[in-house]
Amino acid sequence: MVKAGRRRLSRQERLAYLILLPALGTVFAIVTIPFILVIQQSLSSDDGTLIGLRNYARALGNPQLYDALHATGVYTLIVLPIEIVLGLTFALLVHRTVRRPGLRAAIYVLAILPLVVPPVAIGVVARLIYAPSYGVLNVILERLGLIHQEINWLGNPTLAMISVASVDIWQWTPFVYLVMFSGLQTVPRESVEAAQIDGVTWWTQFRYIELFYLRPLFILILFFRLADVLRVFDHIFILTGGGPGTTTQLLSLYLYRIEFKFFDTGQAAALAVVVLVSISIIYTVIARFLPLERA
Amino acid sequence: MEPISRREFVKRAAVAGAMFTSFPTILAACNSTNTSSNKPSKLTIAAVQGAEDGPLKKVAPMYQSQTGITMEVVEFPYDQLFEKLVTTFQANGSSYDLCMMDDPWMPKFGTMGALQPLDSNFGFTRDSDIPSIVYDVGTWPPPKGPVPPSEQGKTQHLYGITIVGNVEMFMYRKDLATSAPGSWNDVLANAQKFNKANFYGYVIRGKATNPASSDSLPILWSFGGDIFDSSWKVLLDSTASIDAITFLTQTLKKYAEPGAENTDAGDRDRLIAIGQAFQSTTWPAEVTGVVEAQGVSQVIGKMAYIPIPQGPSGKGLGMMGNWLLGIPKGSQNGSAAADFIKWLIKPDNMKTYVQNGGIPTRTSLLNDPTLGQTNPYFPALAQSLAAQPNWRPRTDQWNAVETIYGTAVNQAVAGLKSPKDALTAAATQIRSAMKQAGYPS
Repeated sequence: MVKAGRRRLSRQERLAYLILLPALGTVFAIVTIPFILVIQQSLSSDDGTLIGLRNYARALGNPQLYDALHATGVYTLIVLPIEIVLGLTFALLVHRTVRRPGLRAAIYVLAILPLVVPPVAIGVVARLIYAPSYGVLNVILERLGLIHQEINWLGNPTLAMISVASVDIWQWTPFVYLVMFSGLQTVPRESVEAAQIDGVTWWTQFRYIELFYLRPLFILILFFRLADVLRVFDHIFILTGGGPGTTTQLLSLYLYRIEFKFFDTGQAAALAVVVLVSISIIYTVIARFLPLERA
Repeated sequence: MEPISRREFVKRAAVAGAMFTSFPTILAACNSTNTSSNKPSKLTIAAVQGAEDGPLKKVAPMYQSQTGITMEVVEFPYDQLFEKLVTTFQANGSSYDLCMMDDPWMPKFGTMGALQPLDSNFGFTRDSDIPSIVYDVGTWPPPKGPVPPSEQGKTQHLYGITIVGNVEMFMYRKDLATSAPGSWNDVLANAQKFNKANFYGYVIRGKATNPASSDSLPILWSFGGDIFDSSWKVLLDSTASIDAITFLTQTLKKYAEPGAENTDAGDRDRLIAIGQAFQSTTWPAEVTGVVEAQGVSQVIGKMAYIPIPQGPSGKGLGMMGNWLLGIPKGSQNGSAAADFIKWLIKPDNMKTYVQNGGIPTRTSLLNDPTLGQTNPYFPALAQSLAAQPNWRPRTDQWNAVETIYGTAVNQAVAGLKSPKDALTAAATQIRSAMKQAGYPS
């Protein structure tokens, strides 16, 4: 008896695998092999001796990790809700009020711009806005008579966090807008028109018709933005360098310092594995809690 | 065109793929013929982007025209250069024939065995016109001060030659003050005297990590404090160290610019150059790049440059920040790279280098009155070098120590912690990091 799993591959299937091989090989070479090496490094000392989970114990026992996690959590809780609400609001506004294709295209281009600017450049510009003594924001606020004394945007812990978060919000709200706007284009016009004939309100139309089509996109946005927030580095490095103290030292900056300042490769590798596993768990949870259309 | 069979398509694709993947190997093989010859066609220098490598880029073509060797300067920002070099050295890569190195990197590279010895391999000897401290800073293991445990007993070699003779100095507005501050008490008195609305008595470079560390170390030392003693015992929580950081972050800070915890060198230079501050520490590149730069600064000729003022310890200790040129172990063009360094430090060539904005180490050039006219800080730099400035602790753990210490100073500047609490916590962290790296705790 021939087992189902052992059946011979057809010629077409073999060809399909053969064609897939270069792509899979590339993924294996640039993703899988480095990940295996990171795991190996996380279990080894500097001289390559296997030391079990000692690097993990050191990584998780470092109190600075929890400061960095706290900073990352605060940053995420500021940027993600604001970006989603703002992006969605803009998308709904443009979708419902702007009818001229030329204007829509112009808004589209404007929305693309922040996404293509390198984060380093954004960091430099943001520093010109928030910097003490010459920052544009303080000058404007002073000229408007709203403040009489300079605000220390980057030196006060709370304001520093808000300042670095504002840069993220400026850069990534357009991404949410673009995704949501494209999602709104998929809402069947007949459903909307039928609802409008029935006299639905602005909110009801969104709540019971459009939101249904946008739900899978929320997951997409959460997936992308969560990964981005964990990688955010450049503008914070330029704006505050993680300061004052370690107030804005997010997880990525902390990891960078462990690897490139402390040269503690073992601890950095252990941290990288912990972060990867945690992210996978978080993503699985997100995917289960939110309704996702499956093929 | 005749249609081809599926089998034939796969075969051809495989051949094309094999050719594509072997292309770099073929190229490398072609390149190896060049590198094995005595006179290479090209030397590649990994350099730091900014005022430090500008003069090098200007004089390199002269060497090229004299020797026919193409000089390629590959620039990286400060942090990336260090990371690039470490990863290149770890892989024993041959991408660079020469590398620019900040002097605190020497312990890391020395411990890694990443560089070719310039004395035994290429016959470099000390020149009496160049202060001995400049050679000492390029020597590993260090000829003075504590030696890392892993390096004790190793033979000393010269691994780097200074091409940017940076030493941290002090600057003040000579058009306002009647005399130069001789001590940190004088600095404080001047800060009090000249501080007024929109004109700050002192500028603190207090941004977290490297900036705060570099700005505060000369004060720490001048007050008799230190990070380590001669046996690597951590002294950061000693009374003298706490007094020094209290002086900077509380006493002097009263007269400093707002947002000092976020001020870096560029912000400091800007305040000085637009005439909004009286005094601060400074590096030569800041002087040439901004404070005395035509078309940029409003205080040209109004600033004086002096060695770091004395503290309660009776010493005024400047900090070295030399940039050296070294030859990576992986370079296959060691001899040619060494020839370039020898060419660069020849008196005539170094003079041309200085005329192009370079910061010399030769005493004769630092004391040259003609050069001094365009570089008003040269006499102070000569004095600072002659006074044997301090270098940052010669440990391969320096980057970790600096990050911890610079964060603690920043916390104190920002008022997030008292100087005592910040330094006590930093001392504990440094002890732990050093113990883990095999140093006596």
